[in-house]
Amino acid sequence: MNTTILTHIIRLVLLFILQVFILNYLEVGYGIQMMIYPLFILLLPVELNVFYLMLIAFGFGGLIDIFSDTFGMHASAAVIFAYFRPIIFKLFAPRDGYDILMETNMFQMGFGWFLRTFGILILIHHLWFFLLMIFRVSEILYILQMTGLSAVLSFILCILFQQLFLRKPKKEA
Amino acid sequence: MRNFLAFLRQFRVILFLALLQGIALTWYFTFLQYPRSQYLTSANAVSGTMYKWQHEITEFVHLKQNNDWLQKKVARLEAKQVKNLLKIDRENVKINDTLYKVQYVYTPAEIIRSTHTMRNNYFTINIGAEQGVEVGMGVFGVNGVVGTIHNVSDHMATVKTCLTENINIAAMIEESGEHGFLKWDGKNARKGSLTGISNDRKVKKWSNVITRGSAGTFPRGLPIGKVQKTKAIEGKPLWDVTVLFAEDYRRIQRVFVIKNLLRNEQLDLEAKNPDPK
Repeated sequence: MNTTILTHIIRLVLLFILQVFILNYLEVGYGIQMMIYPLFILLLPVELNVFYLMLIAFGFGGLIDIFSDTFGMHASAAVIFAYFRPIIFKLFAPRDGYDILMETNMFQMGFGWFLRTFGILILIHHLWFFLLMIFRVSEILYILQMTGLSAVLSFILCILFQQLFLRKPKKEA
Repeated sequence: MRNFLAFLRQFRVILFLALLQGIALTWYFTFLQYPRSQYLTSANAVSGTMYKWQHEITEFVHLKQNNDWLQKKVARLEAKQVKNLLKIDRENVKINDTLYKVQYVYTPAEIIRSTHTMRNNYFTINIGAEQGVEVGMGVFGVNGVVGTIHNVSDHMATVKTCLTENINIAAMIEESGEHGFLKWDGKNARKGSLTGISNDRKVKKWSNVITRGSAGTFPRGLPIGKVQKTKAIEGKPLWDVTVLFAEDYRRIQRVFVIKNLLRNEQLDLEAKNPDPK
């Protein structure tokens, strides 16, 4: 149990540093902003109550807000992500439900599952974030462009992060 | 009562979501209008210190560029020094001129954190209240105006830059004297716009846009940018003037905080004006 908590804390710190000190400085153009921190909320244990999930998301998003002067935009988007996580998880549940011992990363759940759940969740997250940021109906096309392009890049980054930092399951011969 | 409890139980997830969203959105919309406290921005002690560490690591990357800029600036100022001017009329030019009084003081600062891709971009600089920075002071870069001080802590301050939607710096076109307010549309970090220029006068392309200095934040005549194009606004007798910023906010490293020593005098005087209503 303690090692699980420790893993999550280390992951939180790592994602936080990546987001605040590196990704916030990368400029791609076309209004793209890459966000890797939602991955932390995805990888929290499945059995975690949605209230705790939303509280943790709020705290983590708020911390990123404080460091990047976005005044609650990340917190709001992260809470939306946490709210939709159980709903999407239920929608794409494996046939015999979720194993409590398993972590919801792309190695243990399979890439197809990861693409569907995390893809939808990150689209919701980014759409909410950019809607808040621009807050103008007349620029809806620009919002959609930013959402789509950023979501693709964020998704690729999250795959890379898992490839680099998560333990891959041993293949049974 | 029981019905109410049942209602709460049924919708508790949604209610909790609404509560958290309420907190986050209140935070967002109040801070866009007016900064309440420094603790929830990057100027607070913890994040400020961490950004300082990061800055100490990365500042060497830009050392050469910064030296080039500084050298150019020194050259420009050197050329204006009295000792380098030729005396045409030997009788009248005096070096010790007591008719001038210093009104604006420049304090150098380094930017330790900046963004330029958001809709509202704020910089964090490494001087604060202990160095005499106050909310509302002007910030000037190497080539042009950067913004105004938004929030101050003991050793750091945040700058509301020209890359925010409601920057509203009083600006004017140097040649004609037409004045308006500077705005930003949130997309291109090189271009802003000038509103309130009436279209009965022609605005020349590439004429200089400078600060007007009416609010006492900036002295008159600091460069902001150049007029890139003008477009008529439909249904209004105004030009939509696109301004190409003189400063490249994506690269800027060093700034000067401008303190107006006579600002209180100006504000006191203007407070005595009769209410325009």
